[in-house]
Parts: sequence; structure tokens; C-alpha cells
Amino acid sequence: MTVIPRTAARTDRERLTRAAWLVGLGVLLLVLPRLIYPVLALDILAWGLFAVAFDLLFGFSGLLSFGHAAFWGSSAYVTAYLLGQGQSVPVAMLGGTLAALALAVPIAFLSVRSAGIYFSMITLAFAQMLSFLALQWTDVTGGENGLQGFERPSFLGLDFSDSVTRYYFCLALFAVGFYVAYRTVRSPFGQSLQAVRDNEPRAQSIGLNPVRFKFTAFLISAGLAGLAGSMYAFGHGVVSLEVVNWRTSGEVVMMTLLGGTTTLFGPVVGAGLVLLLRDVLTTANLPVGIVTGLVFVATVLFFRRGVVGTLQQWRRR
Amino acid sequence: MNTQLLLIQVFNGLVNGAFYALLSLGLAVIFGMLRIVNFMHGALYMLGAFTAFALGQAFGLGFWPSLIIAPLVVALIGMALERGLLSRLYGLEPSYNLLLTFGLTLLTQDLVKQVMLSQYAVSSAPYTPPPALSGVVNLGFVVFPKYRLFVIGLSLLICLVTWFVIEKTRVGAIIRASTENPMVTRAFGIDVSKWVTGVFGVGVGLAGLAGVLAAPIYSVEPYMGAELIITTFAVVVIGGMGSILGSVVTGFAVGVLAAIGAALYPPIANTLVFILMALVLLVRPSGLFGLPEGAR
Amino acid sequence: MQKKLLTALVSTAALAAVTGALAQSARLSDNVVRVGVLTDLSGVYSELSGPGSVRAAQLAAQDFMAANPSFRNKVQVVGVDHQNKADVASNKAAEMIDRQKVDVLMDLPTSSAALAASEVAKNKKIPVMVVTGGTTALTNEKCNKYTFHYAYDNYMLANGTGTAVTKRGGNSWYIIYPNYAFGQDLNRQMTAAIRENGGRVVTNSDATPFPNTDFSSYLLKAQSLKPKVFGTMQAGADLVNVVKQYNEFGLRQQGIGLGIGLLFETDVAALGQDAFAGALATVPWYWNLDQRSRDWAAKFERSFGKKPTWAQAGVYSATMTYLQAVARAKSDDGDAVVKALEGHRFSDFFARSAYIRPQDHRVILDVYTVQVKPRSQAREAGDIFTKVATIPAARAFQPLSESKCKF
Repeated sequence: MTVIPRTAARTDRERLTRAAWLVGLGVLLLVLPRLIYPVLALDILAWGLFAVAFDLLFGFSGLLSFGHAAFWGSSAYVTAYLLGQGQSVPVAMLGGTLAALALAVPIAFLSVRSAGIYFSMITLAFAQMLSFLALQWTDVTGGENGLQGFERPSFLGLDFSDSVTRYYFCLALFAVGFYVAYRTVRSPFGQSLQAVRDNEPRAQSIGLNPVRFKFTAFLISAGLAGLAGSMYAFGHGVVSLEVVNWRTSGEVVMMTLLGGTTTLFGPVVGAGLVLLLRDVLTTANLPVGIVTGLVFVATVLFFRRGVVGTLQQWRRR
Repeated sequence: MNTQLLLIQVFNGLVNGAFYALLSLGLAVIFGMLRIVNFMHGALYMLGAFTAFALGQAFGLGFWPSLIIAPLVVALIGMALERGLLSRLYGLEPSYNLLLTFGLTLLTQDLVKQVMLSQYAVSSAPYTPPPALSGVVNLGFVVFPKYRLFVIGLSLLICLVTWFVIEKTRVGAIIRASTENPMVTRAFGIDVSKWVTGVFGVGVGLAGLAGVLAAPIYSVEPYMGAELIITTFAVVVIGGMGSILGSVVTGFAVGVLAAIGAALYPPIANTLVFILMALVLLVRPSGLFGLPEGAR
Repeated sequence: MQKKLLTALVSTAALAAVTGALAQSARLSDNVVRVGVLTDLSGVYSELSGPGSVRAAQLAAQDFMAANPSFRNKVQVVGVDHQNKADVASNKAAEMIDRQKVDVLMDLPTSSAALAASEVAKNKKIPVMVVTGGTTALTNEKCNKYTFHYAYDNYMLANGTGTAVTKRGGNSWYIIYPNYAFGQDLNRQMTAAIRENGGRVVTNSDATPFPNTDFSSYLLKAQSLKPKVFGTMQAGADLVNVVKQYNEFGLRQQGIGLGIGLLFETDVAALGQDAFAGALATVPWYWNLDQRSRDWAAKFERSFGKKPTWAQAGVYSATMTYLQAVARAKSDDGDAVVKALEGHRFSDFFARSAYIRPQDHRVILDVYTVQVKPRSQAREAGDIFTKVATIPAARAFQPLSESKCKF
């Protein structure tokens, strides 16, 4: 699983590669709304950050959450609801993110004690309960009709009815979120987290408390997923039951694996590829399931480390 | 709730439970032996139902021959996939298997849909119970379709046979041993990998069998296994991953509990299994019948 | 990306010749009227709308151009898959309008997708004609100046079936409905229609989980309640499950009829018509309603290879109605076309005695309560419905006095 050796003595070349990646991705994201339709570009940011958040837990803590839609979805709903109540954009997005975080506290508390498939399943269970709630609580969620048509009032002179403005606003938030993830992984906390992932008993023997590390990682991940979910609601102006469905939880797993786990950039690239594929398929007149299925199968068989992981591997040869 | 309604719901629950049990039994056998979470299980269940339909259309085979042939066909397809694709991933992170089988699920669903559309112009397949089992029987407290009683009976029988094979035969002993501790089993000179394909075939064959059994009473359409697989995962986890007995008992129990829950507050039925799962895992982190991860 | 989208354009006409003079009478944005069919091209609704809806819109465009020579080569149809996702629908709606210069959006199955696209179109001042999406919210609390609701909605379904069946003597009901807004709406409306016509609902309706495969407990309950009609508000795969099990439990033999909320031809095809025999439902149209309908259906079948569903016929009719409004307005500008549509009265093979209400943009038309024939009575393949009652346009839909719509 570990792709990059995490020794203190990282070579200059590696550092250079990392910087090149960062600059490349940054430039790409800056010009993205000129290359593709801005709302699609915005979607890539939101899902990209969601996938980064997921990978923080999956790649760096070894916990495969199959219920991350709970945080993404709850935040999307709360953001949309607050906007509908006439709140400003920052307040609504903060509200959404905090709601996801608040939801994560009990779920994390109850789930991080489990490992492996049990962890996946207990997170799925909570997400399913939330999904049920979303279907039932139609006053807030709009049921299967969803929420749409909520205001996105201008803020500090930014006119959010323009999708390009929305994009760059979200790009700034994405940068913050990505930086948080980056700092988390590179910090001593992140190193300990990986130590716990790689060998829990050993980590315990050197005095680390695995449960506490996992709990904190879970909260950071859920908070970032919440931020991503609020970007999604704000970006589209639409929230439907889809956001809390287990397929959404599955989709983010696929994006992360496709892009390459523990590579930080990988999940963003994976999200971009899945969304671009989905977009092409809207007009390509091809059966969506067959094409998507083939892509996943091919990824596992030929690019097991994901797109970014495979590229990194080639470079290192 | 009066006793009569309770009894009725127990029977309804047993029918649903029969499907959960067959499906989770297959999943448990596969997980136990191969440590694979087979996401494709629901799609193979669907394939079983469509195979029964196709056998009827192509060769005029009725329900009874299909009940035997369709699961074999599904088992063969499963074994081919195991040899050709899944086996390349052994020893790697289980998440790769999840991605692979998820991809195969999407692929299978759409393939079946396209084939059906091109052949019959609709993607659903009509299928009716065999004449011998159509109609209803009066149980005293309720008039119940014969076919459903047959489903409960056959599912119980298959589960018992599987349990017997695993607990009482040499083959079973090897499977059990390699499930519980593949290293040690190998150390005894038993080639575990030789059994892997066969066990996988049996596991998915059970899914195919459940599919054929479902064809006369549930809508036969390409997505029929899509939601079911998630419920089945929950059942297996409640029972304890890899536990044969656990999967069967839990399968029936969840079916009955969900039916009783549905009688009290219908909308909750789908979610009840997940609430149950969360509760069980909080009390017993490895499921009702599972051994703790470390103990394996 | 852009190039891909262009090559994927499904057009009925060659690109308008740049050198060609502007249509003499009409002012068209970039000299072409583009009809965007935003639908489910590959998922669960693709059989009842999907590619067939795109083809129906193309046929409408062809027929319109043939009848209006000044529009020759000036109407194009674009088909886009919204994959039944509200976010994709909203995304693609905006992109089709901004980039592909689509002048109208059509079809839109899945309520959340229809509402999402309707919201986008409102902001961009482009008309939307929802055909396959059924939520009454489109002409009530979520209505807007650019959205028109064609063909059917929940109110019309429940009101039609509840009234016609009760009047025919099916005056005691037991109803089940999927527990979400669509089902709750249908149940409420159906119950009201039954009571209004002197019928009764024998016990509280039951909300079923959604999605659901096993309906045995409700069927057993129906068996013991012995109503004259078992009403099911389920749709799609859930409906097919209900009907399959209705047969299995032998309710028909026990004299319990079947009343269905929303029935598409594809549902009947999924089980074979004998499984549905005797069931009653309300539809806006069916292909062998009369000679005029049969003629159109034959034309569609020659082009598409399958008989049209009522949703697909509705897309043809909606497209034609839109294009004729463009001709009347002599412009494809959104506001001008909306004005030409509002208050318009017309009649075609699909929409009889139709009227576009200016107050809520509900397109009202005659609808039909139909009964499914057993196969032995079918004169040819696809002959599945017998007309039981015609509900005149003025009574088929939610009265304006009840509408919550404010533009």
C-alpha cells in the first residue's frame, strides 16, 4: 500500500517532483474553467476534496469508510437549507461543514474501535440511517424532489450567480482544505497515523494510542468531506437524495483508488477522471455501466496503484 | 400486534430470510476461504434469475431443470472470473477486490440489460412459479402461496447440507481449516489454492440458486441485486464474517425481525437491518458468531 | 470536450447553412431552433422515455419543418443523458443552454432532475417542457414562468383512477404507497377522489419502504380486508413486484381488483399483460386510442422499431407545440415563446382539447382511464389497453383554485 517511502531523508529529487506536481495541479486548476464547463470544473473541485478527505482516512489510516456520504451529504443538505433560509454563503457553508463534523463525533467514537471490514460496515450502517432520515424528513430535505432554487447571495462583491466566480471562490476553499490534508499527513501526527496503520501493536508498544489517532483522523476527514459537500451544494444549487446514497460512498472509494491512494494528488485526479468520463457519457450514446465497469476492471488489473501512483512508479524506475 | 399477525409476519420474514441466508451463506464461504468481499454477489444472484429465464426461452427448460442448471452456469461463470481476474489480486489489499467486483457488477448489470433489450425489447423477464407449486395453501391462520413455503424449505435444506458438508466431511475440514488459519493448513501440506476456485464456485452458485428461486416471485430485472447486496453485507457482518452458522441464522433472523418491524412501522424495514448491525457491532465488534480479527 | 459534444449532437437537420437567408418571418437566435431532450438514455427510465423520446422529438422537428418551409433546416434536436442524477441534470441543462445554445429543454424523467433543470432554465430564461417527470410541485410551490408541465402529473393519475374506478362500482379500497413524496401525494389524492365519489377506504393506507421487493404482508392484509380494489401507488420495479405478487397470492381470483397509480406500457411488458389483466390506471394517451393515434404510432414504429410509449408520444406533442409557438412568436426568444404558449388552445393526436393554463403552466388535456386486456383479447402485439372512461381536460387536472403557484 505504501507507495512513497516516508523516511526523514527524502531526496531532493523527490521534493522537486512533489513541487512539480503541486505546481502542475495548481496551474491546471486555475485554468480549468476555461478548458471545461465551469460547473463541471467546480464539481471536480468538490469531489476532488471529498476524495482527498476519504483518502486521509483510507490511505493514511487504513480505515476504509463505506459511509462517507453521510458527511458529504449532511453538509450539502445543511448548506442548502441555510441558504434557503436566507443565510449568507460563508455562514451556510460553515454551518454545513460544522454539521458534518458534529455528526462525525458520535460516528467516529463508535466506529474507530472496529477494524477492516467491520469498520466499513459500521460506517455504512450510519450512512444508511442518515439516508433514511433524509428520505423521511421532507420538510428539510425535500424528500426525493430534493432542494433547488435556494439563493446564493453576493458576498463581498462576489456575484455568485456567475459560475466562474463560484469556481474561484471554491478553488480558494479547496486550497485551504487540501493544505489541511497535506499538513496533516506531513506532520508528526500524520507519521504516527501511518505507523498505527502499518503496525498497530508496534505503534502501541511505543506509546501511541491507536484509537485516539484514528478518532482524530476520522474527524479531520469528515470535516473536509463536509467542506467538500458544502462546495457541492453551493456550486450546483441542487441537492438530492443521491448525496446520502451508499453509491456516493462507493463512488468516492472508486475515485480514490482510480487516482491512486496515499498520493494526495491522486484522489483529485481520480475524481476528475470519473467526472469527465461521466460527462462524456451524457452524450456519447454508450451504455454507462459497461464503460464505467470496464474502466474500473482495467484500473485494478493494469494500474493497480491508480493513475498518479503508476506515474510515480514509472518515474522512479 | 395480535398473535395471528405476528405469525403471518414470521412466515413472510422467513421467506425473505431464506434469500438472505442463501446469499450470505455464499458470501461467508467466499470470505472465509478467500478473504474476498464479493461485491458481485448481487449481480450473480440477478444472473441466476436471468439464466433461468434464458434456459426457458432457448431450450424450453422449465423451473425444475433450471433450478439445477442455472446455479451451475452461474458457478462456472464465477469460477472463470475467479481464475481469470480475481486470482491476480490475491495477497493484495482487499480494497482492490472491492473495486474489481464493483466494476464487474456495473458491467454485468448493463450487459444483461443490453442483451435483453436487443432480444426482447424489454429488460425485465417475466417468470412464473412451476405449476406444481402455484396456488395457495390454507395454513389455518393464513392462506399462503405454496411456492413460498417451498422457498423456505429448500433454503433451509441447502443451508443444512452446506453446514453438514463443512462440519462433518473431510472437504469441509480442509475448508474450515484454511478459513480459520490458511498458514497452518498449508504447513500441514494441504494445497489451499487447489480448493479456492471450487469454493468460490459453490459460493456464487448459491447466489445463482437464490436468483432462480427469486425469479417466480420478485421482479426479474438487471438491478434486482443492487440494493440486496448491501443488505446481505449487513447480514453477514451481523452474523460474523466467515461464520457459516452465523450467516444462516442471521439471514433468517434478520428476515423475520425486519418483517415484524415492518408491521409496526413499515418505512423502517429497509433501515432496520443497519440499525441492528450498528447495535450488534457495538456490543460484539466481530459479529454474533464471529471470532475477533486477532484470533484468526 | 467541446468537439466531442458537437460530434455527439443528434441532429435531424444539417447545420443551418451560414449563407442561407434568415427565415423570412422568424427571428431565430443564431438562425437555428435547438431542442434539447434531457432524459435518461441508459438507466431505469430509458425504455419508457430515453432514446425513444429523442427520436420522437426528431420526428416532431421533421414534421414541423415539412409543414413550415421557412424553417427548413432550422430545427435541430440534441439528446443528452442526465443519468437520473439531479446534479448532472442541472449541470447539463446549464451547459446545453450556454454552450450548445439550446432554446428549449424537453422530457426530464425523475422529479429531482426535472426540478433542478427547471430551476436552471428559469435563471437563463429558457422554456422547459417536462413530460416524463410527474411531480405536481412543478406547477405548485416550485412553478416558474418558464416551466410547462405536459402529459401527466400525480394529481391527474390519482384523480382519474380514483374517480373512474369508484364510479364503476369499485367503491371499497385498500391502498399501499411508497413512503416518499410522490407516493404520499398519490395516496392523498386517490383517497380524496374515492371519497368524493362515494367510495371508502377500508383502512388507513399503508406506507411501504422504498425501494422494496416483498409486498406479501400487504397482500395478505388485502386478502383479509377483502376490499373491492387493491390500490398500489408504487412505480417502476416496485410496481412490477407488487403485481407479480398480487398474482401469486391469487387476489384476482378472490375478487379483489387492482388499481394502479402510475402505469407505463413498459411495466406491462415486464410481466406480460396477463399478469396485469383487469388492472385499471389513468394515462394521457395510448397508441391505439383511435385511428389518428395509430397512424402516428405506425410512423414512429417505422422510424424507431418499437411502438411508442405515452411518454414518447408526449415528447413529440410537446416538441411540436413548442415549435408552433416559435412560429407564432416569430422568434425563439424564451420570453416571446412563453407568451405564445400561455393560453394557447390546441388539439393534436396526443393532446385533445388541450389548453396551456397561463396561471400555472399546467398543460391540460383529455386523459383516459384504461383497463389492461388479457392477452386473449389483444388483437395484435402491444394491444394492451381498453378505454374505460375519458376524463375531460377541464376535470382531469388540479383546479387552479387549489394551485399554490405564484410566478
